[in-house]
Amino acid sequence: MAAAAATAAAKGNGGGGGRAGAGDASGTRKKKGPGPLATAYLVIYNVVMTAGWLVIAVGLVRAYLAKGSYHSLYYSIEKPLKFFQTGALLEILHCAIGIVPSSVVLTSFQVMSRVFLIWAVTHSVKEVQSEDSVLLFVIAWTITEIIRYSFYTFSLLNHLPYLIKWARYTLFIVLYPMGVSGELLTIYAALPFVRQAGLYSISLPNKYNFSFDYHAFLILIMISYIPIFPQLYFHMIHQRRKILSHTEEHKKFE
Amino acid sequence: SKHPDPFHTLREVEILDAKTREKLCFLDKVEPHATIAEIKNLFTKTHPQWYPARQSLRLDPKGKSLKDEDILQKLPVGTTATLYFRDLGAQISWVTVFLTEYAGPLFIYLLFYFRVPFIYGHKYDFTSSRHTVVHLACICHSFHYVKRLLETLFVHRFSHGTMPLRNIFKNCTYYWGFAAWMAYYINHPLYTPPTYGAQQVKLALAIFVICQLGNFSIHMALRDLRPAGSKTRKIPYPTKNPFTWLFLLVSCPNYTYEVGSWIGFAIMTQCLPVALFSLVGFTQMTIWAKGKHRSYLKEFRDYPPLRMPIIPFLL
Repeated sequence: MAAAAATAAAKGNGGGGGRAGAGDASGTRKKKGPGPLATAYLVIYNVVMTAGWLVIAVGLVRAYLAKGSYHSLYYSIEKPLKFFQTGALLEILHCAIGIVPSSVVLTSFQVMSRVFLIWAVTHSVKEVQSEDSVLLFVIAWTITEIIRYSFYTFSLLNHLPYLIKWARYTLFIVLYPMGVSGELLTIYAALPFVRQAGLYSISLPNKYNFSFDYHAFLILIMISYIPIFPQLYFHMIHQRRKILSHTEEHKKFE
Repeated sequence: SKHPDPFHTLREVEILDAKTREKLCFLDKVEPHATIAEIKNLFTKTHPQWYPARQSLRLDPKGKSLKDEDILQKLPVGTTATLYFRDLGAQISWVTVFLTEYAGPLFIYLLFYFRVPFIYGHKYDFTSSRHTVVHLACICHSFHYVKRLLETLFVHRFSHGTMPLRNIFKNCTYYWGFAAWMAYYINHPLYTPPTYGAQQVKLALAIFVICQLGNFSIHMALRDLRPAGSKTRKIPYPTKNPFTWLFLLVSCPNYTYEVGSWIGFAIMTQCLPVALFSLVGFTQMTIWAKGKHRSYLKEFRDYPPLRMPIIPFLL
């Protein structure tokens, strides 16, 4: 879901710029888009993020070559992964102040689910860090994010190579399920350790008359993938048909 | 030839689908003083699956819905009117939704209060809490929802008859879910009574009772503002009832009192889920209050400037 999330940033250029300014406070014109300052900032933001995820990609490859195996590669890219994925929280702010025309709710959901997996599962439950499932979602996220942030960068500069657009709306077909599998397997692997340590859990009695079972919560999260993932996936398939066939038609007239 | 007399010639109405522009219905010999409601009824005759409540008719496919009371000859149309139809989806009456969403919490809370089997351990089945505050909380919670049910049946005047069917599932999940969550902890065998004891409970009860009276007073004042069967809107003002004096400072004192009631209940039970429920409710009511406040400002030039939407001077 966290994997599905970022790719399904709904519209063609959710990263920003070029069209439909949701942030237009006066509400008189629809096609305003962010101003020149906001556009410059967003270009820098998206370039930095593209670079960050490239660093992670390179880090993975180098670690693989150095170790000779694909196990436990998480440790080699732990810091940049945490830094750049957490940095994506800024995207919620971008929607909130209107320089990006996406829904705050949808973006929050997407970013929070990623941040949740990084910090509340992988970071918090040290025992899962050596699991292969972690590599599965890290690879899926890395490829997705490199394409997504470069897509936004080029869109903002009004020069989007068809290859990037194609990649964004095609690779998800494999990357989504791959990422979701990695995420679910990681959460599942964390369960026994969470239960054993009583991680993030409170039990009765206590003076605020509240209890929380993190183990049960994680199971609920896993179950929530069942209704949510297909919706996001088929939304992207639908978007793909719309956006890629649209471009084909335009090409015919050139 | 004769000049067409706009006040007496019968009109023609064609109804097109707003999305596909397909011609769905053609009505001839329509009285010029016919209302949109009457036209909707005529449309239902040819398309019985689209009962009037789920019809949205408008002059422009992307425009605003016409009101049921609008009269054909007063609209900017010629002798043949073109209306665009959009299906609002299955509808359910507001009264039905309110009754269902309020009856749930009333019933569910009692299941936990009486500790019916399979909720807490078997040794607690049908036992009773030894804490007075737990009994008091049950009375308050039950009173609150009985009040809501009675108000739905006898007090409120709804400006819309129906809402989309999916709302009932959304609303019931919210109300019933939170009721179960709160009730679980308050009636739990391991429940911990408030830190400051009877003092805290008394203060909380006072807040709760005052806010319930306040909320009821506002509902009555709003009802008296609108005669039965009408859909008129007027600015609400304070009446002789002191609880209504909050109208001087806020547009939606009913919401202010509602939040106050739940804060009272949260202090009384010292239960975090209750506080969370109050917070979520407050957030939603603030959104509604701001919307209502904005419509008041738009509709009435002379709207009192001192008023805030929900919290005096602040929000």
